[in-house]
Amino acid sequence: MIIQTVRESAAMVVSLSGRLDTVTAPDYEKKFDELISREEINFVVDFDKLEYISSAGLRVILATSRRIKGKNGKIHLANISGNVKEVFEMSGFAGIFPVYGTVAEALKMITG
Amino acid sequence: MIKIEHLSKNFGSLSVLRDISVEIKEGEVISIIGPSGAGKSTFLRCINLLDRPSSGSILIKGINILDPKIDVAKVRQKMNMVFQAFNLFAHISVLENLTIAPMKLLGKSRESAEKKAHELLNLVGLSDKAGSYPDELSGGQKQRVAIARCLAMEPEVILFDEPTSALDPTMINEVLSVIRRLARQGLTMLIVTHELDFAKDVSSRVFYLDEGGIYEDGTPRQIFENPQKEKTKAFIKKQESFYQHIVSSNYDLYALIAEVDCFCSRLMVNVQSRKNLMVLIEEVLQLFRKSTLSFPLDMTVNYEEKTEMLELLFEAPPGSVNPMLTESGDNGSALPAIESRLQSQEYRQLGGRNRLSLYLKKP
Ligand SMILES: Nc1ncnc2c1ncn2[C@@H]1O[C@H](COP(=O)(O)OP(=O)(O)OP(=O)(O)O)[C@@H](O)[C@H]1O
Ligand SMILES: [Mg+2]
Repeated sequence: MIIQTVRESAAMVVSLSGRLDTVTAPDYEKKFDELISREEINFVVDFDKLEYISSAGLRVILATSRRIKGKNGKIHLANISGNVKEVFEMSGFAGIFPVYGTVAEALKMITG
Repeated sequence: MIKIEHLSKNFGSLSVLRDISVEIKEGEVISIIGPSGAGKSTFLRCINLLDRPSSGSILIKGINILDPKIDVAKVRQKMNMVFQAFNLFAHISVLENLTIAPMKLLGKSRESAEKKAHELLNLVGLSDKAGSYPDELSGGQKQRVAIARCLAMEPEVILFDEPTSALDPTMINEVLSVIRRLARQGLTMLIVTHELDFAKDVSSRVFYLDEGGIYEDGTPRQIFENPQKEKTKAFIKKQESFYQHIVSSNYDLYALIAEVDCFCSRLMVNVQSRKNLMVLIEEVLQLFRKSTLSFPLDMTVNYEEKTEMLELLFEAPPGSVNPMLTESGDNGSALPAIESRLQSQEYRQLGGRNRLSLYLKKP
């Protein structure tokens, strides 16, 4: 999995590509640890290039989002489709997070 | 009629048959099936002394044929064998092929030997070929002559070693139907064959040979419709397996998935099933990782080509628990992803191992 970050004025955009699974979940966690320690609290996670997610991936998203919430921050998800969408729906995840069609929509929502 | 006790056969250090004990009754038609190299041919060859058993005894009607004083030619006449490649004498006619041995070895007159030969040619559907030479016959016809020649020795038992495997597909049936006819006449026969459908309908009993012995013995119904043991099942169902021993929780998931994917593509498993299988492997292994005493773990993927059934089987050490019961259905749980892909699951203890068997939903 490759993780790219871009600092936008409204939030930190984190783009994932490849697989978010048991093997790569620790990388995701590490990246967010690092961002949170730099006082980032608003995030948009872009799933556009993510090919596969497993329950380990879902769990790490959930765990990091709890920590972000603890700092009064928020995580927004964008571009969820295909296998990833299926997995989200099946696990009831879709209802827990704000989900947007595109990164731009998510950013717009955050700025208000 | 044939009583085999503690029969073993080694070729040097290679142990092919180990301690086989079995009794064969008069009139039984026994199909011998099993993987290549299981020792099927060796078993037949031991019975008619083409190979000398390393130990054990073989009693034919109470007489031990391994007795050094026994007349081997007489044993072979009583237990006559039909081979894969019809070894007829090429330079003499079909009729002479059928009469030469009975005249020489059974002391028959030419007249009675020829009379019998014509009867037998009639039986195998070749009464018009008495004057032909082997070269003028098709493969199927040659093999039918070979069967008639075997019968001409008036054997008590006929041993067939893959009588159709050297034939073109178009000629297999004519030979099989001759063997069927003999079965109906009550001849005692042992038939090594790869034609499972034939074995199923011609025989009264089936031996599945594996692991150096008669691994499973039963009626065709038992063996073909309800085999009890793993290897028999796999053989009958033409099941292909991928096996991996996973030593510890530090397994290389990507390497494992790549190997399974390779196995699946070789068997042309449907793409959706393949994806589902990969998800299941990751998720279930993860559950095992979270529960105690799961490793070393044996993972097997079984694919039954005929029905396209995929089974994912895990065998964990004693003391391990069913990983499918360790999680609640909370958010982030692997269970929905797993269960939505399964048709059924089973957990049981077998031979000290805890087996979790998962059958995938068909796409
Ligand atoms: N004369 C021999 N010398 C050494 N090894 C032998 C000999 N005959 C057979 N074997 C070995 O014994 C094993 C069993 O051979 P056998 O021919 O009985 O198998 P099979 O079940 O008939 O197989 P197939 O279905 O391929 O005919 C094989 O490993 C074979 O290599
Ligand atoms: Mg053989």
